[in-house]
Amino acid sequence: QNQVKKAWQQPALEVLN
Amino acid sequence: MINTETITLSDYIVSCEQNIVSDMGDEKVMLSIRNGNYYNLGTTGGRIWDFLGEEISVKKIVEQLLSEYDVEQKECEHHVISFLEHMRKEGLVLVTQENKNNILT
Repeated sequence: QNQVKKAWQQPALEVLN
Repeated sequence: MINTETITLSDYIVSCEQNIVSDMGDEKVMLSIRNGNYYNLGTTGGRIWDFLGEEISVKKIVEQLLSEYDVEQKECEHHVISFLEHMRKEGLVLVTQENKNNILT
């Protein structure tokens, strides 16, 4: 079986403070 | 070491040591001891961070992500490089053009 791939979310670096 | 040049697939990345990282649900949060800033790396960013404990090529990071996520290669490359450049700007990673560990990656 093909591996079920996860949905892609663009990586982003969020500066919290 | 590269400071301002655009990161390429052939560059090598490694995380800086002066960071405290913690899992928060599916995401990763980080405190930089160096600059005192808190960061949220998110889900995908946290996965990328997992690779950076040892020096690794950008190409290898993209290859690994392509095997795990449903994304086109060009889109993945663009997003990863953009993310890594932001990380470098914040002083969270080091970028080199050579693999100092001589690992075949």
